[in-house]
Amino acid sequence: MKFLYCAAAGVALLALAACAPSTAPTTGGGDEKTGTLRVWLFDEPNRAPKEKVINEAIQEFTAANAGVKVEVTYIPTTPARHEKFKGAFNDPASAPDVAEYGNTDLAEYATAGGFADLSADLTSQDLTADLVKSATVDGKLYGLPWFIGIRALYYRTDVFTDLGLKPPTTLTQLTESARTIRAKKPDLYGIAVGGEYTFGALPFVWDAGGDIQSLDSAESRKGVKAYTDLLADDVCPPQACAGLTGGKTVELFASGKAAMGILGNFSRSAVDAGAAAGKYAVVPLPGSAEGSIAPAFAGGNNLGVMKNAAHRSLAVKFVQLLGGKAYQAKMYDAMGNLPTLTSAREEVAAREPFLKPFLETVAKGTRFVPIDPAWVKIDNGKVIPTMLQKVATGRATVDQATTEAAAAVKSAFGGS
Amino acid sequence: MRHARPRAWLYLLPAAAVLVPLFGYPIYMLGLLSVFDYRQAQVSGGEPTSFVGFANYARLLGDERFWSVLGQTVVFAAALVAATLAVGAFLAVVLTRAGRVPGLLLSLAALAAWAAPAMTGSTVWMFLFDADLGLVNQVLGIEGYSWFYDKWVTFGVVGATVVWHSFPLVMLTLYAGIQAIPASVLEAASLDGASAWQSFWKVVVPVLRPLITIVVIQSIIWDFKIFTQIYVMTSGGGIAGQNTVLNVYAYQTAFGSSEYGLGSAIGVIMTLILLVVTLVYIRMLYRSGERL
Amino acid sequence: MSRSRLAADTVAVVVAFLTAFPIYWMVLSALKPAGEIQSLDVRPWTLSPTLDHFERVLTGENFGRYLLNSAAVALTVVVLSALVAFLAAVAVTRFHFKFRTTVLIMFLIAQMVPVEALTIPLFFLMRDLGVLNTLASLVLVQLAFSLPFAIWMMRGFVAAVPESLEEAAMIDGASRPVVLWRILFPLVAPGLVATSVFSFITAWNDFLFARTFIISAKDSQTLPAALLVFFKPDENDWGGIMAASTLMTIPVLIFFVAVQRKLVSGLGGAVKD
Repeated sequence: MKFLYCAAAGVALLALAACAPSTAPTTGGGDEKTGTLRVWLFDEPNRAPKEKVINEAIQEFTAANAGVKVEVTYIPTTPARHEKFKGAFNDPASAPDVAEYGNTDLAEYATAGGFADLSADLTSQDLTADLVKSATVDGKLYGLPWFIGIRALYYRTDVFTDLGLKPPTTLTQLTESARTIRAKKPDLYGIAVGGEYTFGALPFVWDAGGDIQSLDSAESRKGVKAYTDLLADDVCPPQACAGLTGGKTVELFASGKAAMGILGNFSRSAVDAGAAAGKYAVVPLPGSAEGSIAPAFAGGNNLGVMKNAAHRSLAVKFVQLLGGKAYQAKMYDAMGNLPTLTSAREEVAAREPFLKPFLETVAKGTRFVPIDPAWVKIDNGKVIPTMLQKVATGRATVDQATTEAAAAVKSAFGGS
Repeated sequence: MRHARPRAWLYLLPAAAVLVPLFGYPIYMLGLLSVFDYRQAQVSGGEPTSFVGFANYARLLGDERFWSVLGQTVVFAAALVAATLAVGAFLAVVLTRAGRVPGLLLSLAALAAWAAPAMTGSTVWMFLFDADLGLVNQVLGIEGYSWFYDKWVTFGVVGATVVWHSFPLVMLTLYAGIQAIPASVLEAASLDGASAWQSFWKVVVPVLRPLITIVVIQSIIWDFKIFTQIYVMTSGGGIAGQNTVLNVYAYQTAFGSSEYGLGSAIGVIMTLILLVVTLVYIRMLYRSGERL
Repeated sequence: MSRSRLAADTVAVVVAFLTAFPIYWMVLSALKPAGEIQSLDVRPWTLSPTLDHFERVLTGENFGRYLLNSAAVALTVVVLSALVAFLAAVAVTRFHFKFRTTVLIMFLIAQMVPVEALTIPLFFLMRDLGVLNTLASLVLVQLAFSLPFAIWMMRGFVAAVPESLEEAAMIDGASRPVVLWRILFPLVAPGLVATSVFSFITAWNDFLFARTFIISAKDSQTLPAALLVFFKPDENDWGGIMAASTLMTIPVLIFFVAVQRKLVSGLGGAVKD
């Protein structure tokens, strides 16, 4: 037993290196052709529809592969998923063959050596280059993008009609309309934005030509200023809005407290359950140039094969089935998950007008956070929210806050 | 006290059998890890482990933010300990004087608050104090006022939540302690003309000392390590990180991004600080003639 | 009724109301229909209560199994922790030995380390012991985390029993183990109940270890797994969270009420140091 050995080493005052910290054995996995394929999928508050589609896929899969069983475990998303995945990396015996994972977590999992390189297995998928990027680290493809969530501008049709406003087509218009609404209807926030809402703010930065790795550039500063201008008394007062997360902006819009909001296609059911139901429409989030669309963040989930998988080829086959066109379309019907495959997306777009603004946004190109373990540090260290909140509360100017944030980003990239 | 040493160790054996491997070994590892570069990549064998000496400590102690966070953690924890004790002790006295039904109501309410998972309790309090959708603002007629904007107001609301979670243990412990004081002792005090206040300080408090010692030490340890309430209610440290406490800082700089080496260094430092505080407190007790 | 009694009654009722209110709000939010939880018109009641949220929690995977697992872990921890803490408390109160104070302080140190810092070493320890993915891993670690506090509390109860009782029994020819079991143990039983409540809540509400050590075994999940499902990035399911929390809190209250009478007399014992 290791602890006895280590304790003995400690007592004997041996060199510390004699008892280096534990690491997991690397088994490398196997390629059995029969047995039980273990699959991890994220659990959902309302899982029944997802489970139904999955079971259908399993039936199809087991019918095609004799002697194979599929066992699905539904794991919680936040924040327990990290412990689960780390556990699977650290104890190969507990590792599943296939796992669904959030694409923002990818870099950390890849560095930890948890997932298998599928570059050779998943060729010629009909994915946009942007989406392939969200599953790629150092040129290696670590999974098949399964679905994405895209944000666009929700606005209250009744308020806009009432005040004679048109849905904004530029960021300047958006800001002006938001101010008009707040001035004419002081009970409402012009637009629900939040200091903790990183993925609401990033499109402003990207649209201005900036990026996370160059927050102190003139372009990024322009984007930060455009966003924080909304976190002001004449739109969304910092006292109320500086602390809002993305989820809170959804609640504010849904409850009818805000005239606009940057919400995802996945927020539809929440809005339909609230006071804003039936009184809203969606347009793409405009960019600064007339008719342009601000690049959206392509958050979503991928299906990957674990490095320690015992059934590698079967796992790849299952990923191809579940991530294929037919099941992506079925998952949209069941859960509202936006397909990643262009053909599947076109198919659901044809029968679902609600998706139009979101798909237009995807077509104009999506962006992604840096696929590097540094992103996890930047995210956990709340670098971007701190920057936004310092500006919104007047504790720092845009220049000061962005300089500080850029330094934090740099140390996250270089610090390890 | 008997002096049968072997038997004492025999009785300690089961506890040692559990605690040595499950605490001794991990604490030993904690010290060891703190001098290594040890991240998720190293844990799962993706990259080799390397010895870095005191680099983790240097990084920590050289971080200005660490010191400011440490400072406000100490202040916040001290306030929490004082508030928890004051509320718990006051209500314990109330319980001894209240009738059966009001007393039972209070006990049950306190038990429920104690039993609710911290994550849920924090969420509910956050609901109640929500700027636009919260009941508190609606009742007070101040819709739109954010309780989580000003640093000290935020600490106040979060502190109230923590006390709500933690006073029941203190209240019930001290109540039971007071119950155990023979009625004759209290009667004697009141016959001597002592007021209720005097008899509380002169008779009740001294008898309760050992219990108070336990709850004070425990409260210091728990409140210094406060995490869930701050993390949930201020979405991870408040506006621009103004409400960050040490454990949240540890999560943000180390555990959240699986930097176990750095995290262990924070753990060692936190343990040492708590140890010093506790030893100072125990020393004060010794001075006043009390023994552990 | 005297004035002080009236004042005490009033304070007790008011504080009970304030303390219970968040709990009431939790249950209420669990009963409100989805649209009503987040609405500008906040009402401390609901006209259309729904059991939807409870239904979602209860029909989620294996809720009954999780409940049983949680109860099994918590009760095992309570029993083992009571026994081990009792023996250890006897050792540190009835005997005077060289490192007594050191041992006592060690029990405190064990509680000072941030738990997150211990999870990785504990993970590898559990793996080497081969108990990952089993309830045994949870029992072991919860036992370890409840013991230090339990020993500190039990110290007070053991000290409260006059030593003369044991001495008298020994003069009558009883062996020391018999004295411990037949005389001392029953006398400190109420104290054991008091510490048990603490151990029970700690083990019952554990989120961290449950998700660290139970990686792939569906059948070994405990209740927090059923609750965590409802926390999602950016769109928490408040109704589900509140319903699951309500269901998690009820068993603790039942345990409490069951031991309540013993509890009060038990906690009192700690004082006669």
